[in-house]
Amino acid sequence: MNDRFNYSSSREAESAAKVQALEDLLIEKGVIGAETIDQVLGFFETQMGPFNGAKLVARAWLDPAFKQRLLQDTTAAIAELPFPPGMAGAEGEHMKIVENTPDVHNLIVCTLCSCYPWPTLGLPPYWYKDPTFRARAVREPRKVLEEFGLSIDPAVEIRIWDSSAQIRWFVLPERPAGTDALSEDELAALITPEAMMGVAKVKARAATSP
Amino acid sequence: MKLQHNLGGIENLGPVWTETRPFVEEWEKRIFGIHVAMMALSQTLVDALPRYDLSKVPTTFREDWTWGHLRMGAEAMNPFDYFKYRYFEKWLGGISGFFVAKSYVNGAELEARTADYLDGKAPQRPSKSLPEVDAQVLRYLREGDSPKRGALAPAFAVADKVLVKDVKPVAHTRLPGYLRGKTGEVVHVYDGAYCYFFPTGPDGIGAPMPVYSVRFDPKEIWGDTAEAGASLYADLFEAYLLPEGEVR
Repeated sequence: MNDRFNYSSSREAESAAKVQALEDLLIEKGVIGAETIDQVLGFFETQMGPFNGAKLVARAWLDPAFKQRLLQDTTAAIAELPFPPGMAGAEGEHMKIVENTPDVHNLIVCTLCSCYPWPTLGLPPYWYKDPTFRARAVREPRKVLEEFGLSIDPAVEIRIWDSSAQIRWFVLPERPAGTDALSEDELAALITPEAMMGVAKVKARAATSP
Repeated sequence: MKLQHNLGGIENLGPVWTETRPFVEEWEKRIFGIHVAMMALSQTLVDALPRYDLSKVPTTFREDWTWGHLRMGAEAMNPFDYFKYRYFEKWLGGISGFFVAKSYVNGAELEARTADYLDGKAPQRPSKSLPEVDAQVLRYLREGDSPKRGALAPAFAVADKVLVKDVKPVAHTRLPGYLRGKTGEVVHVYDGAYCYFFPTGPDGIGAPMPVYSVRFDPKEIWGDTAEAGASLYADLFEAYLLPEGEVR
């Protein structure tokens, strides 16, 4: 028997202690400052996250001319909107959005790592980084989407985008029916990172919540 | 041949993990933050398009650290370990190992400190602020490190059929293994030319070159087991492509 897959029972506690030891030592040795890491985390909590992508999608649903510009030159169209500074910054230097339609469903994957458009979507969810998703999405996308609870009609073409070079991809999902009365902000609140990477559709919120 | 270069298409892995959180443990946020700070302080930024002047940034860090370095470390892992460890566990192993290997941190010191914290010894968080370091990190996040350089004449045009090379496997690549030896069609030629963080040797990327969006028929890749009604697209550096019909 191979003991490679045995885990220490205190696996998480050991990692937590080790990363804290590492960060403290890096501060003591002048590599980073005491606030450096908190600043990075705060940046993704308040400035660069999926709330930006959701605003972008809601605007595209409401403004067909903007949508065309967004599909044509994603990075330039994003620069039109009043986002925080940095929308073409780290992991957003070159972004491209692809549109879901009644005939086409797009799915984004990175089989070599976990390339993700930080300024519009923030940090990648675990499902996107998981080797099993990355291995299977390019081979059996319909089965994979079923496991996310998403059934794609056989008549709909699935386009899988493996982001293996320098472009960061995301999806312009379809606007759900029954949302005509919603404001731009209300529309944005419906849009999830999963819908913007192609493993979910945007759902109109149920009138009553359970 | 490395498993990590050939992940796409592996079978029998069981169901996908549908976890939607970016972090599943609080500690994972800290190693993510350390990696971002390292990229923001990397000596490679001296050649970046934003004019980062690292000589004025008061950090003791004097290394090259990019996504390419992090990925190369993950690609060097034993394939069983690659599947054994969760995403940020791999980062913690790779990054702490890097700091020890480069003598920023002594391995015994890191182990002893870790043991202290595990024993519940109250950590003494150092309070030394480095505002200029934090300013450089924020500037990197906002201005990035675009790989795009001036245009070079592309060898291929939209609608050209291209054959993916089977380049020599090396420490690091951006060529997904399942595409090697397959034929696809160029659907888009990206504007400009794109460099990579460092030359990958006989693998062939590094210097600025055109990048293409190439469409593949899943049947060409997976044969009869391919699902119907799908198209597969990959962004490929020109160094990975040959005209269809050329002998590899």
